[in-house]
Amino acid sequence: MAEEKAPSAKPIVELRGVARTFFRGKEPIVVLENLDLEIAEGSYEALMGPSGSGKSTLLNLIAGLDRPTRGTAIVAGNNLSTMSDGDLATFRSRTMGFIFQAYNLMPVLTAAENVELPLLLTSLGGAERKKRAQTALRVVGLEDRMGHYPRQLSGGQEQRVAIARAIVNDPQIIVADEPTGDLDRKSADEILNLLETLNTEFKKTILMVTHDPAAAERAKIQRRLDKGRLL
Amino acid sequence: MNLITVAARNALRNKFRTTLTVVGAAVAVLAFIMLRTVLSAWNVAADYAAKDRLGTRHKVSFVLPLPKKYIDTVRAVPGIKQACYSNWFGAKNPKNDNDFFASIAIDPTCLDVYDEMLIEPDQKAAWLADRKGAIVGDVLAKKLGVKVGDRVTLTGTIYPGDWQFTVDGIYKAARKSVDRSQFMFHWEYLNESIPERRRDKIGWITSRIDDPTKGAAISAEIDRIFDEKDVQTATMSERSMNLSFMAMLSAILTALNIVSVIILLIMMMILGNTIAMGVRERTREYGVLRAVGFSPRHIGIFIVGEAVTVGLLSGLVGVALSYPIVELGMGRFLEENMGSMFPYFRIEPTTMILAVLLTVGLSTIAAIFPAYQASKLSVTDALRRVA
Amino acid sequence: MILMIPLAYNLRNLTVRLSTTIAAAGGLALVVFVFASVMMLSNGIKKTLGRSAQPDVAIVMRKGSDAELSSGIEETQVGLILAGREVKKQPNGQPDGVGEVSLVILLDKLGADGVSNVAIRGVPDNVMTFRRDVKIVDGRAAQPGTDEVIIGKAIRGRFKGLDLGQTFEMRKNRPAKVVGVFSDGGSSFESEIWGDLNTIRSSFGREGMVSSVRARLQDPTQLDSFKLRIEQDPQLGLLVMREAEYYEKQSAGTSLFITAMGVMIAIFFSIGAMIGAMITMHASIANRQREIGTLRALGFSRLSILTSFLIESMALSLLGGAVGAIAALGMGFVRFSTMNFASWSEIVFTFEPTPGILLSAMLLAAVMGLVGGFFPAVRAARMNPILAMRGA
Repeated sequence: MAEEKAPSAKPIVELRGVARTFFRGKEPIVVLENLDLEIAEGSYEALMGPSGSGKSTLLNLIAGLDRPTRGTAIVAGNNLSTMSDGDLATFRSRTMGFIFQAYNLMPVLTAAENVELPLLLTSLGGAERKKRAQTALRVVGLEDRMGHYPRQLSGGQEQRVAIARAIVNDPQIIVADEPTGDLDRKSADEILNLLETLNTEFKKTILMVTHDPAAAERAKIQRRLDKGRLL
Repeated sequence: MNLITVAARNALRNKFRTTLTVVGAAVAVLAFIMLRTVLSAWNVAADYAAKDRLGTRHKVSFVLPLPKKYIDTVRAVPGIKQACYSNWFGAKNPKNDNDFFASIAIDPTCLDVYDEMLIEPDQKAAWLADRKGAIVGDVLAKKLGVKVGDRVTLTGTIYPGDWQFTVDGIYKAARKSVDRSQFMFHWEYLNESIPERRRDKIGWITSRIDDPTKGAAISAEIDRIFDEKDVQTATMSERSMNLSFMAMLSAILTALNIVSVIILLIMMMILGNTIAMGVRERTREYGVLRAVGFSPRHIGIFIVGEAVTVGLLSGLVGVALSYPIVELGMGRFLEENMGSMFPYFRIEPTTMILAVLLTVGLSTIAAIFPAYQASKLSVTDALRRVA
Repeated sequence: MILMIPLAYNLRNLTVRLSTTIAAAGGLALVVFVFASVMMLSNGIKKTLGRSAQPDVAIVMRKGSDAELSSGIEETQVGLILAGREVKKQPNGQPDGVGEVSLVILLDKLGADGVSNVAIRGVPDNVMTFRRDVKIVDGRAAQPGTDEVIIGKAIRGRFKGLDLGQTFEMRKNRPAKVVGVFSDGGSSFESEIWGDLNTIRSSFGREGMVSSVRARLQDPTQLDSFKLRIEQDPQLGLLVMREAEYYEKQSAGTSLFITAMGVMIAIFFSIGAMIGAMITMHASIANRQREIGTLRALGFSRLSILTSFLIESMALSLLGGAVGAIAALGMGFVRFSTMNFASWSEIVFTFEPTPGILLSAMLLAAVMGLVGGFFPAVRAARMNPILAMRGA
């Protein structure tokens, strides 16, 4: 697929000379090496690559879940390399929305309560939180299931609840790590439609790591990563 | 909805495991309450001892008697309101060798000195007039199956032979610490029935003083008077006397205390094990929470919140179980059959509160290490964990 | 054919979640420790008092008494009792027997607060020939007719005034001096003070009386005729029993009390420990669903799965049990001093193990492991292999 640059967009993600090295015992393992990357605001990008290419590591760095060993990472105006753990947590709660392969909903909470969870970090009152959760569920089309527990929902529905949770705090960027990995074709399509809506209608910047070519196709820009380098 | 309530609900996730944990810890709480109640019940006599009574005994040994004339000397000591004497009779119920109760030969003044034993005026009058009369505690009366007017025979051990009595009165207790299984009769009857050389000897003297604050001084004075004589005395407050009895069993009391601590350890192991398991399983979930923006401190609250819920439940269940088992079951049995040692076997409210506080506290402590370990984990590692 | 899953599989699995295994085994160890210790103490009480008895000795007390303390026999009757033909004679022609006075006195405890009753025995001159196992281990024997006393080695140093060269007061201005320490093979006599019979009697106003008479019989079978003759005589008003029986009664109350408390505690503890084991086994099995499914698919029967998990549970509990039993053996160094209810005096006991106690402690551990592991093991055996392998 050909690359496209979104028109008149300023970069919301700027990585310069980023490297990430892990240590297994004394052995250093270089996962990312001297990487430069710019992602425009409002973009929808897919990150692909073989196992061990470092795509998840890259995603983690952009999401503020991890800090680079070297280089700078500026996301939505925040210099992540210099921020403390506490600041990173605050940054994530305000700016990022997360979607994982395994949904990761809390089984003891209803769909609505699961969506409400991130709002506990804000200063909103109970009624306001419930209202926002309901709105988010409406966006993903599951308002009628808000009182259901995860075990009462199908895989696709669980992922949609997870997406609702990811958007409830109105983040600027959504990161998705293999969002369709555990789903059948039909559910996967529903999720991908939803992501597209979030990008085009709600102007969210979306960064998706995926193995699925069909999913990657839906993104505006596809990038490949191999052995820690962007191709 | 807040972190704590979510944490509490998390405890219900694995119902089987939580139930087992609560049951296990509740049983430990039950055992703890039982032991502490045994200890406190034993101390009841000391705790509720009369503040204005002194006991005078032979200085060297409990088993040695005082001369009867000592009672006159004591009665004349300034500050002494009333004094009476008693002898331990130590008889057995011929129908049931194993019955354990106190049988005492008393001077009639004792009914006034021990005013916490309530007896009907007409029964008291009947006893005063009846040389072979006996006054029996209500619990003992029920056990022996006797009522006012019945004849009772006891087998003497210290004073051998079969002794006949008529039950003239049954006393009730005005205070919880009173031994309701005592059998009392006239000292005169004992004295005139034994051989010459054993006569005119009394076991101990109980006195009531005008001013409780002067107890120590009056005790010292009594002992000083008798110090010059052939037989010396040791006088002390009733509470001190009871405490010194307890001290003789100090080794057993210490052992029970140690065991109650061990129980707490077992409780903590059960709780800690379950908590640790739960934390291990939820590692990825905590990772997600942290990704979304919750800090390690929040995760800590989560973990401790769940632990405290389980702990609190255990404590409450344990306390709820203890009431029927310890107080109604064991307590009644002991009060009726070992009433002299355990006149009042009830769970102190403070014990119940302590038990619940302990389960909550121990579960918090048990959660500390897993919480610490969870906080050390980076978010990315946590997300990667497959329980 | 029943394929048995190799033992190594189960044993190694215990080491996988080491902290959980240790917690569960620890709980079991504590239960076994408490149980074994209590049994050992109860045994120690029975043994200590039992050792005070000699098989060929009969004890005579006043009829109706259940302890020496409350018994009184006229001095004049002593000779009569010992003159019986069943009584063995010493080489010098004297009957092999003693009449003694038994009392308790209050002494201040050392190393703890308060006072306690110590047994004091007035003994005749021939006491050492009557009790041949008694040996002076420090100092010397007391001189007859004096205020000198000897003390049993168990109470040495436990009370004020009870050590070599020290004194304590028997009555005012009548101090008794400790000149020697004796041993008696770990019997209850080692918790007593022995003094001259007449000195003790007069100090405590018991002139002309003894508490008990002990007579060595020609042989143990002579007891019945001795007993018959003495008890039949209404003038005497005495009772006779074998010394062994007497001491059994002396130990019964306290020993029973301790056993009862111990069993009650052990019941509670073991419920807690079993639940701990149950939780551990349950979680362990839940985590190994795939493995179990695979084993079943490979052909291992339900029975072999059940058995193997029961073995795993019992290995866990036997491990905990062994640790607890060994720790309990360590209690053998501890001396436990408490008031014996029957004699109303303080006796020093030790925790005495027997093979039977250790065996029953291990049995308790095994039972706890069996019961605790039963339901989880059944659950493992009933797992559907396909669902299990999928990890459902």
